[in-house]
Amino acid sequence: MSLTRREFMKLFGVSVASMLLTRCSGFAPATPEQTCYAPIAPTDLPPTLSSTPAMERLRLNWLRFGELSQKTIAGENSDNALGQQMTADHRAALDELVALGELSASVADLIQESYGAAVYHVWRSNAPITCYEPRIVDYAPSSADVLVKQSEVLNQIAAQGTIDPATLAGAQSALEHDLAFYDLSDEEVKALYDRLIRESQVGGQPIPSFEALELELTPEAKDAAHFILDLLTGK
Amino acid sequence: MSAKPHLQSLIFEVTQRCNHTCLHCYNVWQGEPSSTPIYYPHGELDTTQTLHLLAKALEETDCHHVTLTGGEPLLRADLSILLDFLRERNVQSTIISNGRLLNKQTAISLIDHGVALFELPLLSHQREIHDRLSAAPGAWDSVLAAMTRIRLHHGQVITAFVATRVNIGHLYETIKLAFAFGARAIMFNRFNPGGRGRTYLHELLPSIEQVREALTVAESASVEFGIPISCSIPIQPCLIDTSTFPHLGFGYCAAGSERAYYTLDPLGNVRPCNHSTTILGNLFEESFGNLVSSEKLKGFVNAFPAKCKVCKQRATCQGGCKAAGQVCYGSLDAIEPFLRQEQYVRL
Repeated sequence: MSLTRREFMKLFGVSVASMLLTRCSGFAPATPEQTCYAPIAPTDLPPTLSSTPAMERLRLNWLRFGELSQKTIAGENSDNALGQQMTADHRAALDELVALGELSASVADLIQESYGAAVYHVWRSNAPITCYEPRIVDYAPSSADVLVKQSEVLNQIAAQGTIDPATLAGAQSALEHDLAFYDLSDEEVKALYDRLIRESQVGGQPIPSFEALELELTPEAKDAAHFILDLLTGK
Repeated sequence: MSAKPHLQSLIFEVTQRCNHTCLHCYNVWQGEPSSTPIYYPHGELDTTQTLHLLAKALEETDCHHVTLTGGEPLLRADLSILLDFLRERNVQSTIISNGRLLNKQTAISLIDHGVALFELPLLSHQREIHDRLSAAPGAWDSVLAAMTRIRLHHGQVITAFVATRVNIGHLYETIKLAFAFGARAIMFNRFNPGGRGRTYLHELLPSIEQVREALTVAESASVEFGIPISCSIPIQPCLIDTSTFPHLGFGYCAAGSERAYYTLDPLGNVRPCNHSTTILGNLFEESFGNLVSSEKLKGFVNAFPAKCKVCKQRATCQGGCKAAGQVCYGSLDAIEPFLRQEQYVRL
């Protein structure tokens, strides 16, 4: 699979956003604890954000996907004004780093490309749907709470005896599969993601594995990807 | 045209054939001739021509998402070829299906071929009601089995509940069933007469009060199950105060905008949306840009019932679904069937 570096950075950003939303404990601040899709109180940008160092502002922007997701689900971001604001904030922080000589302009552009794609992905995936609007979907089960509730409801429905037993067994199996996902450690989740990405690639899905892509990466794209990872892991 | 039209999505009706005969079907080529007989071209292209058509559509637009619908799209033997074609161009695909043909092998194959989302109908928690509305015995069992298979293989499903007089009272239990089977979202679509549905207008069209009560149910169910519910078919704010349902999404006619559901039929005809019989032109004969900047489209976009002229919400609501007015009463300016009930109701 041959991807341009821009395409790669977009996919990379989307993958990072998905990881942050699905298993964000590794990246999120210690308190308050964020869960993937469970409602959390929207966290506005700190009023002193503009005075924080550019690097920290960048990091905070990458940690706002939960907020973007929640506000979008709640219908408070139908025009994605929040996403546009986040993208502009991110660009401004990058420009500052470029001006300080800490980042080259070309790498900054790629990072921005990645972030913009991630913001769009999170917004589009959560915006209230209309008939035929696209929803970019990846394998990310609903929150554990939702799955537990699904299980309860499914059991109630099963007790009514109206559904074909084979179908019911399949539904329970699918649910258990998703529930098992939430019993995994961070490392196991990462391994699962890696495996799914590999399988997707084998199956011809348009999501490439990081390893496969790295072979084709330009140094700039590699720098941009590492910059984002370092930013989020606090290195 | 200098810039390519940007489309959030393109609707592609890959076939007019279907294995169900839903009473509420809005397909514009369906329905018995009535007081407003409508002729619509029938047929479909072979694989080579279809790929040629799709390539032209994608080349002439900035579009990264295509919804494959019908008829029943799974009846096309070359569906996987069309999907591969889209995937090679980094175009996301959604399939709207009745689920009948989604056996295990097909579900896996479609997911492998890049289908990101399946939209399936779930019309009731009761087998007999779903089957009756689908006019297809076994439809309910098939769709539940299809949902299960898709989820088992990491696909995503949203379900569509077409609210008719027959099933609207089943909304809560149906949402509950969809939730239990892993639906990621639910579309609450009030019955919008068109196609075959025109024949059953009076039997199926829910009253304003019924829709209001259903929205109350949907609102609380959305909170209870944490599931997004959107109302894609316009519900006029003058009939029902939609602001009292903060957890529901409400959509209005997007014709002419980036969010428009431009619809490409199996022969290459382009329409402003899939409910309308208005053909802007054929893509083999004209460019997409020319078709969507035509006077015909402007006429569609600017149409609204005369009675709505003084309404402050006209720009958003546009009188509801003008396509329904068109197919039921012969004019885009006609008051569509749901709004016609207003004379019996005062907010």
